[in-house]
Amino acid sequence: MAASISGYTFTSVCYHSANSNSDHEGFLLGDVRQEETVSISDTQISSAELLQVVEIHNHDPCAHLFSFYDYAGKINEENLNSILKDRRKNVIGWYRFRRNTQQQMSFREQIIHKQLTQLLGVPDLVFLLFSFISTANSSTHALEYVLFRPNRRYNQRITLTIPNLGNTSQQEYKVSSVPNTSLNYAKVIKEHGAEFFDKDGVMKDIRTIFQVYSALQDKVQAVCGEVEQSERVKEKIQEDVNKLKQQIALRKRKTAEEERRLREAQNADSHSTPEENTEPPEASLLSRITFHSPSAPERPSTSPNPPSYTDLLSQDDSLLSSSSPPTSAALLPRPQAVGSPGHPTPGPLGMGLGLGLGLGLGAISNPVTTPSTPYLGNGDGSSSDSLDRHAAGQEDDEDDDDDDDEEDEDSSEYENLVSEGAHLPMVSASVLAQGRPAALSPDGDARGSQTT
Amino acid sequence: MNNMSPEVALHRISPELRPLLCSVVRNGRVGLDSTNCLRVTDLKTGCTSLTPGPSCDRFKLHIPYAGETLKWDIIFNARYPELPPDFIFGEDAEFLPEPSELPHLVHWDAENPECLLQLVKELIQQYHQYQCQRLRESSRLLFEYDSLLEDPNYGRNMEIYAGRKNSWTGEFSARFLLKLPVDFSNIPIYLLKDTALDPGEDVALLSVSFEDAEATQVFPKLYLSPSIEHALGGSSALHIPAFPSGGCLIDYVPQVCQLLTNKVQYVIQGYHKRREYIAAFLSHFGMGVVEYDAEGFTKLTLLLMWKDFCFLVHVDLPLYFPRDQPTLTFQSVYHFTNSGQLYSQVQKSYPYSPRWDGNEMAKRAKAYFKSFIPQFQEGAFANGKL
Repeated sequence: MAASISGYTFTSVCYHSANSNSDHEGFLLGDVRQEETVSISDTQISSAELLQVVEIHNHDPCAHLFSFYDYAGKINEENLNSILKDRRKNVIGWYRFRRNTQQQMSFREQIIHKQLTQLLGVPDLVFLLFSFISTANSSTHALEYVLFRPNRRYNQRITLTIPNLGNTSQQEYKVSSVPNTSLNYAKVIKEHGAEFFDKDGVMKDIRTIFQVYSALQDKVQAVCGEVEQSERVKEKIQEDVNKLKQQIALRKRKTAEEERRLREAQNADSHSTPEENTEPPEASLLSRITFHSPSAPERPSTSPNPPSYTDLLSQDDSLLSSSSPPTSAALLPRPQAVGSPGHPTPGPLGMGLGLGLGLGLGAISNPVTTPSTPYLGNGDGSSSDSLDRHAAGQEDDEDDDDDDDEEDEDSSEYENLVSEGAHLPMVSASVLAQGRPAALSPDGDARGSQTT
Repeated sequence: MNNMSPEVALHRISPELRPLLCSVVRNGRVGLDSTNCLRVTDLKTGCTSLTPGPSCDRFKLHIPYAGETLKWDIIFNARYPELPPDFIFGEDAEFLPEPSELPHLVHWDAENPECLLQLVKELIQQYHQYQCQRLRESSRLLFEYDSLLEDPNYGRNMEIYAGRKNSWTGEFSARFLLKLPVDFSNIPIYLLKDTALDPGEDVALLSVSFEDAEATQVFPKLYLSPSIEHALGGSSALHIPAFPSGGCLIDYVPQVCQLLTNKVQYVIQGYHKRREYIAAFLSHFGMGVVEYDAEGFTKLTLLLMWKDFCFLVHVDLPLYFPRDQPTLTFQSVYHFTNSGQLYSQVQKSYPYSPRWDGNEMAKRAKAYFKSFIPQFQEGAFANGKL
């Protein structure tokens, strides 16, 4: 059995007692509950412990001695009722305070206790004995208290704990389950409770938070759906792109074959002038573009290892200075962006455009993009984008430089490539546009767009 | 605090409670052992410590009972002196008397100074009954008790203390304290007067301790009130026979009683015999008597002359006269010893028989004097100085 008394009840009893000039007594109100603790450990299946807990919530002091019993110790039930009134059912014990006496139940206390047990119908009525001991010279006073349960034969003394008092290792303030019986408190809570509690007695904040949570959950569910859909669309488009690429590769092979046959035939006849090779860049661009992009898918099939940078340089030289056959130009690998892995995965055509242009000196002299662009030195496709832009600007000489510089500052690669993508008749704008976002993501697609 | 004199206790107690305590402390005798009066210790107050003046209202009362001392706490309230007290019965936590058996509690009257004392007596009675109940744990001892109870001589003057000596081994023990119905009234007063203490009632108590429930270890002890003890000749008079193994109290106690009675009778007889002896000597020696003990008749001094030789004879009669022989001391009136005393000789053995009566003893003594004096005279002349 365990017992606890709230700190304020204890002090109230002490106050009443200490201020009385004689012995003092009163009743203890509270309740008794049974606590069952089931503990499971490795050694035994389970063990249940039953603990009876007595909680003292309040006390009811008697105004004077012998107020409900006579000289012989016989209880007068009428007087008892007039003292307790409607609190009678809450009585779980009684207390007595006497100074300078032993911690033992006295003769009359035992008699009264027996009768109270019967009258109140509480089988385990407790008795709290306060004893105030003073030394002879009044230098030291001690208040001792013992809780008895005299109706038991053994273990009559119970330890009385006062929560939040005494144990300094306890960190937090323990709240007891003492019900608040104050009328004022009940009134105030009733008045102002509507602001905090809804009709069910649940705090409003909780409901609101729960609503927010539900909304978020719904949104997340919706987004999941959308993601799923977009993923599927993307899958489908990716399939289409792959198909188209294959078609393009096929066609390229065919035209290459034809061209080779034609050239062979032409070479046999006459020498082609270098000006012809330096045709308007748009034409070469076009051809290069058309050839370059298929080269990207070709790359993985033909050469798994990307060509080294020196190879690129030599090929660039040949491209700019001499008339390199468009086919060889088409087969030239894209320069890698700084920090980008050389994964020769197929990328969008827009990427191919810039890269093809950047095969020249621009790519050599300024392999690293200007710091103005946000994607610098990244492993993703964005850095190559700026590289592309820069290379594109240089290829077009000063005319495009300003534009490109301006564009470099603020425009995204998307805008750049959209404008250049107008030169790509073979590639649908939708594909380009769709492929553009993919370049932004730091996955294989983007990387693939950087390299050839 | 432990040896507080009654006056100190009375001084410290609250004035309203003083009369009650007074009767307890001054006149309080409860129980058989009335030689030990009630003692009060550990006076404390139930009022706040700032209360001025004598305000003690609770104390410990020491009550002798069956050879033990009960220490009961008595709790009053000085602010409400009209209320009856509460009790804590010390170690006897199970002793719970029925209030209806305590009329002085039920009708407590604070105006009556004897009320507390009477209440304590009633409590002692209840306590006695409680102890007798506890005897039921041992059938043997219960039998002893019942058998004594039946005897009117002992039944009503009994105190029992029963209990477990050792709570671990559970060894049951009991003590019977019996007042022996011996009549001490005829003991010559002179014998009883000679004590420093207030003698009180003359009582002989027999305490029999049973150290075990089977009555194999029994230790009897006789307690006499100081005057009786003195009258009977000191602590040597307290030799009583050992408790016979397998015997009963109902046989043993009358035995002891008889012994004591015999002793008392003997003492009384001795007194009378001595008186007779002195009377005889007075009549025989008449003018020769210098002085004698007229109260106890223990001494007699004669001044005699034989052939112009005067001498003194001191007769000392022992307590157990006539069993024991009187001592005769002859003293010369002329001669001194070296230490300045009168020359004397003591005679313890001379023709004597306890069966003679006073007259006979006087006659024989006279004859003896005549025969011894020449010897004495020579001795005196030889060894003494004038």
